[in-house]
Amino acid sequence: QNLVKELVDMSTRERIHAIRDLPMSFEEKKSISAVVDTDHIRHQKTLLLESTHGCLCSIRRSQTLRRWGYSVRSARQTLQLWQGTMKEIGGRFGTSVLTYFMFLKWLLVFNVVSFLINFGFITIPLLVHDHTPNLPPNVNFRGLEILTGAGYFNYTVMYYGSYSNETLVGLGEYNLQLAYFFTISLYMVLCGVALIFSMAKSFKENYVLSDPASSSAWQILCSWDFSIVNERAITQRKNNLSVQLKESLSEGAQTEMLTRSEKMKHFGIHLGSWLLSTSLAFGCGSGIYFLCQYEQQVPWTPLQEAETLLVPFVVSLMNLVVPLFYSLFNKFEVYSNQRKQIYVLLVRNVILKISILSILCYYWMQVVAKKFSCWESMVGQALYRLVLFDFLFLMLGSFFGEFLRNLIGRKLLPNLGVPEFDVARNVFELIYAQTLVWIGIYFSPLLPVIQILKCFIFFYVKKVSLAQNCQPPRRTGRAAQMQTILIALLFFPSFVGALSIVAYTAWSLTPSKQCGPFRGLNNTFGAVGIWIDNLQQSSSSYWVIWIYHHVIRSEVFYFFLALIVIIIIYIFWQVTQGRKQLIVQLRQQIVNEGKDKSFLLDKLQKLQKSNQYAQKHPNKVCLE
Amino acid sequence: MGTTASQLGKDLLSEYQELTFLTKQEILLAHKRYTELLLKEDLAKDLSSIRVPMAKILTLPELKSNPFRQRICRVFSTSGLNDGSLSFEDFLDLLSAFSDSATMEIKSHYAFRIFDFDDDGTLDSSDLRNLVNCLTGETNDTRLTNEEMRQLIKNILEESDIDKDGTVNLSEFQHVISRSPDFVSSFKIVL
Repeated sequence: QNLVKELVDMSTRERIHAIRDLPMSFEEKKSISAVVDTDHIRHQKTLLLESTHGCLCSIRRSQTLRRWGYSVRSARQTLQLWQGTMKEIGGRFGTSVLTYFMFLKWLLVFNVVSFLINFGFITIPLLVHDHTPNLPPNVNFRGLEILTGAGYFNYTVMYYGSYSNETLVGLGEYNLQLAYFFTISLYMVLCGVALIFSMAKSFKENYVLSDPASSSAWQILCSWDFSIVNERAITQRKNNLSVQLKESLSEGAQTEMLTRSEKMKHFGIHLGSWLLSTSLAFGCGSGIYFLCQYEQQVPWTPLQEAETLLVPFVVSLMNLVVPLFYSLFNKFEVYSNQRKQIYVLLVRNVILKISILSILCYYWMQVVAKKFSCWESMVGQALYRLVLFDFLFLMLGSFFGEFLRNLIGRKLLPNLGVPEFDVARNVFELIYAQTLVWIGIYFSPLLPVIQILKCFIFFYVKKVSLAQNCQPPRRTGRAAQMQTILIALLFFPSFVGALSIVAYTAWSLTPSKQCGPFRGLNNTFGAVGIWIDNLQQSSSSYWVIWIYHHVIRSEVFYFFLALIVIIIIYIFWQVTQGRKQLIVQLRQQIVNEGKDKSFLLDKLQKLQKSNQYAQKHPNKVCLE
Repeated sequence: MGTTASQLGKDLLSEYQELTFLTKQEILLAHKRYTELLLKEDLAKDLSSIRVPMAKILTLPELKSNPFRQRICRVFSTSGLNDGSLSFEDFLDLLSAFSDSATMEIKSHYAFRIFDFDDDGTLDSSDLRNLVNCLTGETNDTRLTNEEMRQLIKNILEESDIDKDGTVNLSEFQHVISRSPDFVSSFKIVL
């Protein structure tokens, strides 16, 4: 057989994969594998007659390596966190809800890694060197610190302020200034690279040229979720699918165009809701700004510690309430397809969060940085409070949004129905929380700890809430495409925004003079400058100095890099266009071949009929 | 080289690992669930000679409510009687095709065979009609009317039948599947 010949020529690993990929039953695969193995061994033996010993050894070695690879894979599977719970959730609610929990798990692992990096390189050397926080007198631990993050916490390693700028001398020289700077920048670069890779992978696998969800073929052939096991969920899905099919069939039947006045009305409603939502977003932003100003002007009293809680409280309240208004506007608007509806909602939420965060950052960078002495710690505290309140409000929101609505939907107003689990909104809130952590890493290196605790507690809260309160989503959404969009959201506004804020802080703002690892310098980047100067004086590593002066500090390098990247992108874009045209042509070719085939079949049938007729009636044969 | 039904030899285990997409844990779990379905007197017999009838396989909670359960058993069964009974290796085949790590080609191949109700190698209108009825439920108000069914099948063939021969063959089916990246994650059954 040709198949066996092909398989014998491959290496062992490829062979195993190829046999596994054959869509045949187990026994057939076994017999093919046996035939191929004997052929292979015979083949090898004729080639290496003199070193049969070595040949057998290598076969056995590769076999043991493979078996070791399998056991590693099995071990990895057992160590997976929350495996059983995920399977349960997938069995009842389907894969789109499962993507939320997988994203939560991914975020948890990500934050554990960031915590380990930061803790290992920055905090541990400081703790080893000097583990008593230098508290000024009469500052004790009160309960309020957990909420405000100020007071006792201010003097611990939680914030930027308590990191020293010395060079620690222990086992070797450890320059804490450089360590802080390089750890944070390396961490940001690693995050960026990881995000770019997962975004590219997601785009490659999940990008589709057209919207398949509206097509009947997709709905019937691809959309059934085999992993759902719960009987009630299956019946519900069947009903939903039937309703969806009937809807789409009846829509297709109605080919009436909307009248001009109706179009104008729809356009007016769209415009109105866009104006309302953007003005709400900007209103929230300016409200936060004035609140911050007001908070500043109040004189210092013991009550002010509690008053610092006001800003985060208001921010989280806005984040909770305003999206509800957006959903309300959404109900009044009419959209041609469901995908556009979700995107519009997402864009409005993004605008809201961007406006709030940018106002807060502007306030911190421009006002706080100039006024206070140890301003980085103050910014760190503000971020800590924001993260904490975000967590508390999300828990409250889960309680009100899902538990109470479930009660209302079941007992009081059965028409309203049990709430659905809104994957997009929940993932979006996780992205917002992660943005806060990214902004805060520079000012408070231990912030990932809080995010880890949050993710952990959240998993269990959401799981319980899901099981008790929600029903599976009604529309079988395209989970993969939604996942791509959300990862792109995670990268583009969230990470890039956080990175630009940290970069602006490091480049332009003067570090505070009395605290922190960069005290006394003109800007944070100056630490690297000093190090390079030291290296130059000691004249040991020329290449580092050369790289610094000619690559990192020169603008010409970046200009050329950008030019090359743009040219490469243009070339790839043209290749894609060419391929799209090729697809269209190939499709047309297939259609033509089909027509040819049916034409030839017809002709064949006619010929056969006339032959049979001629055989039966040899006398009546006429000119053919 | 056979083992009794109550234990699995190491050689056999590694062979299963090589020829399927399952990990060792999954194979052992499958073995445990399979032996739970056997009768007491079968436990001492040789594993490769036992076949579990379809009715018993369908008592597994993962397959119990699946609308395609009978088709799945029929497709993966290698018994000559075509009664849907599965040996242990057929069962492993089933789990391997539905596992996380199976390739898109394997999944689309088996999905095509599952949807091909009359086993003629193509999806024609009667297959599609059966498929839609499986997916929309049995009660009267969820079933589609004849008119709706006709329209739906016409739409499906318009969108997926590229060579316009009135049926969907394997390549056309795989083309539709390749445009839907969710398929790989939804064509999954995990014990």
